[in-house]
Amino acid sequence: MKRVVPHLLLITGAAFTLWPFVWMISTSLETLREASTGGVGVWPESWHWENYVLTFRAAPFARYFANSLGVAFVVTAAVILTGLMAGYAFARLRFCGRSVLFALILGTMMIPFEVTLIPNFVLISRLGWYNTYAALTVPWCANAFSIFLVRQAFLGLPGDYFEAARIDGCGHLRFLFRIAAPLVKPTLVTVGLFAFLGSYNSLLWPLVVTADDTMRVVQVGLMAFSGDAGVRVHLLMCASTIVILPTVALYFVAQKYFVESALGAGIKG
Amino acid sequence: MPDSDKLNAGTWASSRDEVDMKRMMTLGLCVLMLNLGSGCHRQPEGFRPINPDAAVFWSRQITESAALLRAMADDFNATWDGLPVKVEQTGNYGEIFRKVSASIRARTLPAMAVAYESMTAEYIDAGAVASLDVYVNDAEVGLTAEDLADFFPAVLDMNRFQEHGGAMYSFPFAKSVLMLYYNLRVLRAAGIEAPPATWDAFLDQCRKVTAHTGAPAYALNVDCSTIDGMIFSMGGEVIQGRETRYDSPEALRVFSLIETLAREKLAYQVSPGTYDDQVALANDQVAFILRSSSGRENMRTIMEDDDAWGMAPIPQADPGHPATVLYGPNICIFSTTPEQEKTAWAFIKYFTSPESVVRWSLGTGYLPIRKSAADHPDMKASWAAWRHNRAAFDCLAYAKAEPNVKGWQQVRDEVARVETEILNGLKTASEGSADLKKAADRILAGR
Amino acid sequence: MRFPCNVLRPLNGLDSLLAWLDDRLERSARGPLRDGPTAFLLLLPAFLIVGAFGILPIFSSIHLSLYGGQHGQGPFVGLGNYLRAFTDDAFWSSFLVTLYYALGTIPATMVLSFAVAYGLNRLVFGRGLLRTAYFLPYVTSAVAAAMIWRALLGGEAGMLNNALAHWGIPVQRWLLEPRGVLHLLTGGFVPAAVGPSLALCCVMAFEIWHGSGFMIVIFLAGLAAVPRELEEAARIDGANTRQLLRNVTLPLLSPTIFFLLIVSTIKSFQSFNGFYALTNGRQMPDTRNLVLYIYSTFYERGELGYGAAVAALLSLAIVVLTVVQWRFAGRKVHYE
Repeated sequence: MKRVVPHLLLITGAAFTLWPFVWMISTSLETLREASTGGVGVWPESWHWENYVLTFRAAPFARYFANSLGVAFVVTAAVILTGLMAGYAFARLRFCGRSVLFALILGTMMIPFEVTLIPNFVLISRLGWYNTYAALTVPWCANAFSIFLVRQAFLGLPGDYFEAARIDGCGHLRFLFRIAAPLVKPTLVTVGLFAFLGSYNSLLWPLVVTADDTMRVVQVGLMAFSGDAGVRVHLLMCASTIVILPTVALYFVAQKYFVESALGAGIKG
Repeated sequence: MPDSDKLNAGTWASSRDEVDMKRMMTLGLCVLMLNLGSGCHRQPEGFRPINPDAAVFWSRQITESAALLRAMADDFNATWDGLPVKVEQTGNYGEIFRKVSASIRARTLPAMAVAYESMTAEYIDAGAVASLDVYVNDAEVGLTAEDLADFFPAVLDMNRFQEHGGAMYSFPFAKSVLMLYYNLRVLRAAGIEAPPATWDAFLDQCRKVTAHTGAPAYALNVDCSTIDGMIFSMGGEVIQGRETRYDSPEALRVFSLIETLAREKLAYQVSPGTYDDQVALANDQVAFILRSSSGRENMRTIMEDDDAWGMAPIPQADPGHPATVLYGPNICIFSTTPEQEKTAWAFIKYFTSPESVVRWSLGTGYLPIRKSAADHPDMKASWAAWRHNRAAFDCLAYAKAEPNVKGWQQVRDEVARVETEILNGLKTASEGSADLKKAADRILAGR
Repeated sequence: MRFPCNVLRPLNGLDSLLAWLDDRLERSARGPLRDGPTAFLLLLPAFLIVGAFGILPIFSSIHLSLYGGQHGQGPFVGLGNYLRAFTDDAFWSSFLVTLYYALGTIPATMVLSFAVAYGLNRLVFGRGLLRTAYFLPYVTSAVAAAMIWRALLGGEAGMLNNALAHWGIPVQRWLLEPRGVLHLLTGGFVPAAVGPSLALCCVMAFEIWHGSGFMIVIFLAGLAAVPRELEEAARIDGANTRQLLRNVTLPLLSPTIFFLLIVSTIKSFQSFNGFYALTNGRQMPDTRNLVLYIYSTFYERGELGYGAAVAALLSLAIVVLTVVQWRFAGRKVHYE
């Protein structure tokens, strides 16, 4: 009985979170008329799989996907690395101006994106990076959120770990990459997940720094279905479904890392 | 590290931090001063083309019309021996505006971009837009008097900016007018055969429909252009100089109508920015909606039955002297290099030639902006195909443009706010009208 | 305590490279703060990027905020833009909306997310699937989510209105209702303009639904780091669930909670998407927060200088809040 109640509660809650998702998929299989006028029901009158063919024809999605995934993977790897290194430095090293530098990093979180857009575009254009992959990736390869999150994780680790390692003659870098990094694996997975999502879901920045379809990303593809006089809801939902799949798959894989206590696995003796 | 060292490090760190804080602040101030210094002697340097090898055209991200626009650009390039025109899809208007804003700061611009009048007005202020008068009036590449007379007057007028001596800064791109869409199934069920020609008849029919269905007859989309169109149709004006006329008797009649519709539950407001009113019309929930004529094809798809609905001119105070509102974006040319500008103008001229105007209209549902389109065989064939295809074109002759003064975008927000307040019963029509006049005039005076 | 990877094991390629680097760094270090060179190396990549694309824009936008006119090309006005903000009604009303929104969303989202994450962490069956389900709101397209929410709330015949009609509750206008909730709840006793509007509360509900996906993930990662052994030991000592939660789980989770408090406050002050998706960017004073206001000064009016000044004030408010949280909440955080 004690087990059943939480299960039931969580399943009921999940229905609320799943509903829009299911609605999106079912709408993607309806006609425009049904999709526009059908309300919030989740069962199509008839199944129109050809919507997916129409969607793929509406924009060069293959190219968009290649760009989005390529950019997102580079960004994810880079964010994990820069976050790990900087987070460790802020948590465990003593050096001049640590708190000032950390405050500066945190300060970048306080500025709305709308404000940084223009100076960053000017910088990209001065660097001659307009319409290049560099413009899509480099600005996102490190961020305050990740550094902060990793720092918190390292602060949560028992201090005597490090002392023990030092006594064994292990330097900072070797300690960081060989011992400490595996200990904060759930955090690194989280950082990677959000880095991937952030990059993959971005729309405005790619639109502003790229010129044509060879450089565009999937989120731009979603714009192809809105018009002056209405939205082609069914095709938009097709495209949304296709676009969301990689992120859902990625999360499904990543969530396994939240299961075991990484800490428990790391300690021996 | 021995323990004593660690303790030391701790105390050291904090005192060092203070020293460092000062150092950082000095550095920050230096950066700021540098910035200020560079800002002081900013020269009126020109804009570079974002792509020197092509005349780039930033347009919207809509699949069908974009494909047609590209095809037209290809056809143009085949006959043009200057720079090629390259259409680049750049999201919706909001994103185009942001990209142009960022590009103005970076001093690199495309050859041309799609822009509403309010956007163009901001670009003009930044010194980024080329005046089109030199091109239009040029003996060689310009337009003849007959050409100019062939355009519907309002279509060109909305591109002349009174605040800049009436200079023309953009050219029409995709035009439509405000129309009344009606559902014949719902009207007939209430014993009505034809849509209303006057606002009195409109109110009357709404009452009949609501009495019959027990539900609102009109799905109302809160929108400044719709209000302006209604004021025009009452015989009123929206602006005079830099003062709005939202307190005129005509405007007051519009707000009173809205107040009555809301009070008697004849109309309800749909979520802003959605097309829920089209959906309600298609589902036989309401009899009327007021929308842009460019929604025709979309409406046809979701109505499915061509005989069940129609489009009519919006109701009028005096059907003998009709008026409606004209809207839709224009193209503006940026001041970059003479070569880019020349190509951009040549493309615009091609794009608004009698042939292209018909091709663009038939492919997108926007209105053909030239009178001669009425004689074009393709246009005639399309009008013959469905009786309502012509309705919007017939309104063009008396359609009026909205103001293009600076700050108008903000006024639009105020109109939407006041309209919502009247619908909600938070304000009466006369309170709303007076409040709007005050708020709008303050915005226009402040700029 | 012994480590699985220590010097006793033979060095492989990466290890020897790291060891060599460690050695060099340590030798170049001087004085009591001997981690300096290592820190420099570790921070360099992050600072190159954050510096260029995060810190420089701070300075350039402060610079921009000192100029008037369109596109920042007007005259130098000093602090004029800031003074203008203080006398601008729209600024204050947006500020108030931002505050209501933060107060309405952060505590609710945190409690809800913790409860769900805690439950998910001890589930026996269907853990992976349920975890994914709770994450979906965060990745579902904002357009699809907003459409569902509008269908639920929207129109006179929205689903929620139909359901409430069964209980005799009158039709509400939800997202279109500019009147305050307090006004509606007290039957008009409180003036309509006081407190958050019903429309704003709908946006808050949307954000709680959407934002909990984000928080649950971080809570799950935090909970994963809580050693099971500790909980089991406490159980053997006879602790019940509540004591366990208060004395073991929450203290161990406090760095995570602290992080989420700081980050979600910042996020809440900067939230844009929920407002934009649900209201389609229409500027109604009761659902316009500071970021939307900045957006419109920047991109609808091109007043870059004024927009930058408002943004600087917003950032200042966030900085003040963060410092306060850091001082007060940071003290309670339990670090190992």
